Amino acid sequence: MVLLTPKTLDAPAEVAARAKKKRNLVPFAFLSPTIILLVILMLIPIVMVIGYSLMDNVIMKTNPVFAGFNNYVEVLGSEIFRTAVLNTTFFTTVSVGAHLVLGLVFSTLLNSRLLNGATKALFRVIYVLPWLFTVAIIAILWRLLLNPNGVINYVLVTLGITETGAEWLSSPGTALFAVTFINIWAGYPFFMVSLLAGLQGIPRDLYEAARVDGANGLQQFVNITLPQLRPIIVSMAVLDLIWTSQQFALIWMTTGGGPINATEMLSTMTYKMAFSNYQFSLASASAVIILVMSMVLAYFYVRHQKARD
Amino acid sequence: MSKTKKQREALERTGVLLALIGGAVFAGFPVLWMLASSFKSNTEIFEAPPRFITEGFSFAAYASILSDPTKMRFFINSYVVALAVTGLTLVVALFAAYAFSRFDFPFKRTINIVIVSVQAVPPITLLVPYFGLVVFLRMFNTYQGLILTYMVFTLPYAIIMLTGYFNTLPRELDEAVRVDGGGPMTALWRILVPVSVPGIVSVGIYTFMIAWNEYLFALTLTKTQDMRTVPIGIQLLMGQHSYQWNEMMAISILGCIPILILYIFFQRYFMSGMTAGAVK
Amino acid sequence: MSKDALSRRGLLAAVAGVAAVTMVAGCGGGSTGGGNASPGGEVTIEFAQWWEPELPAGSLRQMMDQFEQENPGIKVKLLSGPYASTKEQVVAGAAAGTMSDVVGLDGAWISDFAKQGSIADLGKLMADAGYDKTQLSSEVKVNDATYMIPVLNFVYPMFSNTDLLQKAGIAKAPSNRTEFTAAAKAVSNLGNAKGWVLPLSLEAPNGVQNDVMSWAWASGQSMLKDGKPDLTNQDIKGTVEYVKSLWDDGVIAPGSFTMKEQDKVEEFTNGRVGMMIDSLAHINTIREKNPNLKFQVSSVPSVDGFAGKRGIPFASWGIGVSENSAHKAEAWKLIQFLMSEKANAKLSTQANAFPGNSKATPDFSGKDALFKEAFDIYKSGYPANEFVGLPVAEQLMRTFDEQFQKTLSGSQPVDQMLENTQNAWIKQF
Repeated sequence: MVLLTPKTLDAPAEVAARAKKKRNLVPFAFLSPTIILLVILMLIPIVMVIGYSLMDNVIMKTNPVFAGFNNYVEVLGSEIFRTAVLNTTFFTTVSVGAHLVLGLVFSTLLNSRLLNGATKALFRVIYVLPWLFTVAIIAILWRLLLNPNGVINYVLVTLGITETGAEWLSSPGTALFAVTFINIWAGYPFFMVSLLAGLQGIPRDLYEAARVDGANGLQQFVNITLPQLRPIIVSMAVLDLIWTSQQFALIWMTTGGGPINATEMLSTMTYKMAFSNYQFSLASASAVIILVMSMVLAYFYVRHQKARD
Repeated sequence: MSKTKKQREALERTGVLLALIGGAVFAGFPVLWMLASSFKSNTEIFEAPPRFITEGFSFAAYASILSDPTKMRFFINSYVVALAVTGLTLVVALFAAYAFSRFDFPFKRTINIVIVSVQAVPPITLLVPYFGLVVFLRMFNTYQGLILTYMVFTLPYAIIMLTGYFNTLPRELDEAVRVDGGGPMTALWRILVPVSVPGIVSVGIYTFMIAWNEYLFALTLTKTQDMRTVPIGIQLLMGQHSYQWNEMMAISILGCIPILILYIFFQRYFMSGMTAGAVK
Repeated sequence: MSKDALSRRGLLAAVAGVAAVTMVAGCGGGSTGGGNASPGGEVTIEFAQWWEPELPAGSLRQMMDQFEQENPGIKVKLLSGPYASTKEQVVAGAAAGTMSDVVGLDGAWISDFAKQGSIADLGKLMADAGYDKTQLSSEVKVNDATYMIPVLNFVYPMFSNTDLLQKAGIAKAPSNRTEFTAAAKAVSNLGNAKGWVLPLSLEAPNGVQNDVMSWAWASGQSMLKDGKPDLTNQDIKGTVEYVKSLWDDGVIAPGSFTMKEQDKVEEFTNGRVGMMIDSLAHINTIREKNPNLKFQVSSVPSVDGFAGKRGIPFASWGIGVSENSAHKAEAWKLIQFLMSEKANAKLSTQANAFPGNSKATPDFSGKDALFKEAFDIYKSGYPANEFVGLPVAEQLMRTFDEQFQKTLSGSQPVDQMLENTQNAWIKQF
């Protein structure tokens, strides 16, 4: 092997330097498949989108011309953009918060020492169910459930909780809550499964020691479980923030961004620009704005990771 | 008055069980309703007041899917793609996660930021340039095109999560191997991978789900029925004028059963105590 | 060799392996572009549409087989996709140059595709083929060039639930607005049903076309003037105010703001609404889903005392040719075949639609009696859909829809709504 070619006369310092250089290449060797794939299939299209965002109108025009930042000015200045940012912020933070809480609660319950294996196995299967379906079917299913004549209204009225059924998805006052709820339902198992796996990695003796010190369940949870799970929680929360903020299909197929613009998100707004208005440059500018916002988030995340190391 | 330990434990157990049952209603009821609907006729699905089981109870929707070779082909395609994506993603991501977790190198932070944030571009705006790229690479309407596309979606998550798991493992573990003369490959495959199985399984399940359920790119990057996947099959049942409600529900139920079996099979890796000892 | 070296070689091998997979995949097979000519001189053209799943199983393929028989040397490959995504696929396909030779189209998309340069001018193809276009019932033009030919037209008459109307004491389907309001109120007063259903989903805003503007067209009104938006005229104002009055009277089924065409049909099929404006294509679906439902079709009610010809709203399965097709002449032959008197009549019979060839008559034997009735309504009026051929037609409907939802929920008067919509529309022309 080339790397082992003996050079017996090397000064020790030179050997150390070369060893360091070799070491420097090792991580890149490990990263190379990832880098090749992401550069070809992700960075190139993104660069193209950035290019689009600076033209007057691509795809629909044969000879688009350079337009500078006009598209950005137009997107940022529009009223609907502000509405979309507000709705997206609400939808995303509430969804991620609820995913996290439900994920933690369910995974802790499912990991309880108090239950036997079969019971836990059964519940583990039930709890993961929402995760197994494609968005299209989740949207259809919830449209059925939340239909004014649907089963949820029927149950609520029968139990006397409400007097008449509500138009959950089609009244401007409740639509945003309804789609957020659906998204919470559809997304928590992802947190739960990851946390469940994370819980297995926490050494048992930490709890034993805490019990000896007289800590109760809650104290053990706050002082041991949470800190131990923290790296996983932070990673997942960041990823979920990014994913949820661009959730499109679920919203599109349940409310289409309506009623009026009660559930208009950055993603639905961008879609309409591209495929309803055929303003691909505007849509690209909007996509780049979303990208920049996420990069800020990613930057803080990576810095947080580094600080922790 | 102090309760005995046994009494308190029984009380706690009841509490946990009640909480779990409450959560199960939230999680399971919609799916149960889907299952019930798949046995109904299309009219009964919209009946008011709604009922779980109706006179029209039948397996007709299932029969019509299982007897249609085109739809069965959708299932095969979905398996091929999802399994390949899962396998390849895990291998590639394990390499990358190892690099991130155990090495310091120039541009580490930049690469990390890029990996996290590339997923932030709304896929719908990438559709047109991405499609052009796939055609240019001659991967249009092939398994490779779908597999590599989904890897782009799944890799960032897989890398981040696996890096996280590796970070929770003490460095001494693999450094001991290095001291013994083992290389980074040995450290990764012999030491880190075996103790990270729960993490790898959960990442694997996630990867599989993404590849199984993706719709937009599956539709755009394929054109013939013999390359299409289950989500497109579901969408094909949503006609211009009316939906085949019961068949949509049935095909979703059929689609989730194999994943459920996979999950149950791998569940033992989540069971308490399996790996906790190994880490120490 | 040390263990370290071994594992390093392993690493390199593994990395190289993965990289190789990437490369191989990158250079792998996969066909590109539209049709290909084989050495034998045989041409294969692709026909992308959403029709195949909507028609009786195998029937479209059967027609293609017949076409291949009549035109030796041309083979047709059918590519079917979901209706809701057809538009995105055409846009992306056109941009990447992989669009199929012949494509199914909706009138609402034409202006934009023509502007993009993705679909070809059919006028030239017709001239080259020496085609007699007098037999076509209509052509969709943008700037005087023909881009789409409607193969089939689905008309939207008024459906009414005979039993519900009878129970409410209404003997005959309403023919003008006053009668309609009365009937809708009477049905709503029964308690477990509503008079009418109005789908206004923003995902698919075609309710604006089929369920709102149809009221205007049925009374011979127009939302355009010299091809430009004219929403603020008295006629349109009256129509929008009329629909709002139905809303205010509480005779419209709940859930309007997210309801789609498919949901509307379910409401009617289950006897929860007395009347709806809907595609004739649904007659079979309704019969299949609820064999006991008694219903009738009639023309959409007009303003009181209107005696002119009624515009009857319609949607089409249109067809066009891709601009970058290498086999335009063969592609035209397929269209010509589909538009021929016999094939067109057959297709319309199978799809429960009316033929795009004005000489073709669908086969009513064995068909629902209502189908014949609707054909008479169709023949006595004229097909009206002012959205066909307009730029960003779907966006126009969506803007109207959003403004209308605001008005219905009480946050702005009709005048302001029409003015806002008019201003938004004008920008697109």
